[in-house]
Amino acid sequence: MFVMREEHGNVAPALVQKGEDLGNVRIDVPYQLVNILETVYPSSPGKIAVLTRRCDEKALAELFKRGLLDEARIVMIGLACSKEQIRLCRCEDPVPSRVVVGEPNAPAKGDELETRLSGMTPDERLKFWTGQFRKCNKCFACTTNCPVCFCDECILEDRTFVPEKGIPPGLSFHLIRSFHLADKCIECGECERSCPASIPLLTLRKMALKDVKGLFNYRPGEKKTTSPLLTTLDDQPLAGEGCDEC
Amino acid sequence: MAEFQPTILAFCCNWCSYAGADLAGVSRLQMPSNVHVIRVMCSASVKPEYVMKAVSQGVDGVLVLGCHIGDCHYMTGNHRTAKRIPLVKKLIDDMGIDEKRVRLDWVSAAEGEKFQKVITEFVKEIEGLGPNPLRGVRF
Repeated sequence: MFVMREEHGNVAPALVQKGEDLGNVRIDVPYQLVNILETVYPSSPGKIAVLTRRCDEKALAELFKRGLLDEARIVMIGLACSKEQIRLCRCEDPVPSRVVVGEPNAPAKGDELETRLSGMTPDERLKFWTGQFRKCNKCFACTTNCPVCFCDECILEDRTFVPEKGIPPGLSFHLIRSFHLADKCIECGECERSCPASIPLLTLRKMALKDVKGLFNYRPGEKKTTSPLLTTLDDQPLAGEGCDEC
Repeated sequence: MAEFQPTILAFCCNWCSYAGADLAGVSRLQMPSNVHVIRVMCSASVKPEYVMKAVSQGVDGVLVLGCHIGDCHYMTGNHRTAKRIPLVKKLIDDMGIDEKRVRLDWVSAAEGEKFQKVITEFVKEIEGLGPNPLRGVRF
């Protein structure tokens, strides 16, 4: 079983074997276990049970869809988020399909910053975002901690698009990331939590998701049968092969 | 200050739009000279990243031209483009850059006149929008 566990005052992801003592399991720590699960998965045969919030569940759906994990090997233990957590993520879809741990809470009423931004003129918006992105120091924390960033070769490490030298990396870095996540972001907010410059990345993600919803009526992680939107043609499954185009 | 001359990139697919541009040239159709044509094998091989990079580096307008739907040399290439470019437009709009700076259109090899029309319209539109606000922005 895969959980967040406290040991010697530190909380870290832990893989607990059958029969082993669970220890001090923490369910109040926001971390995308799916992110680490991708690393643990190849080297641990057999079934793995994971504590899954609604966002983890959606992330898993996106990974199953692309054939990166085997659905038969993952057991999901639904975890309902606390009110505090929902407020931090501005989460509009916090309840997993089967709640095992925790009490289901009401979803948040949208993102305040997003509403503020969409009310702005384009010039004000550009000023806001360039100001935010000036803080970026290209640490790649948003990419490393993203549960749905799984490409072997990251395009952001391609020198054609993001110059090797130069910090901040400019607008294209964030635009490219926005585009790549538009059809798979599950709004877990890990990018925003891990950003050392506290750029409101989750708001950016939410805006992109709204665009995708408006254009294609598509929401990532909703249906397991729908194909990855931007990689394939409509409803054409990725038959067993890994994703090599995203 | 000199009159604003927009810099415009046009990605033309080899099989239709580039031939269309060629036809427009051979037919000696008059059109603005602000456009830099880049030949690509298919409109789907225009990575959205290229479009976004161009916009964020201060190019005033980006045109993506491909074959009409159903006419793609690679069968489904332009279906993919038709999904990607509208999303790019929305994303740059979220950041505060006018989505009109990116335009997707279909020009076949026989449509020299349409090529002229698209280019003229687009250049006029970009002239109306003014220079890319990111041109002066230094990160």
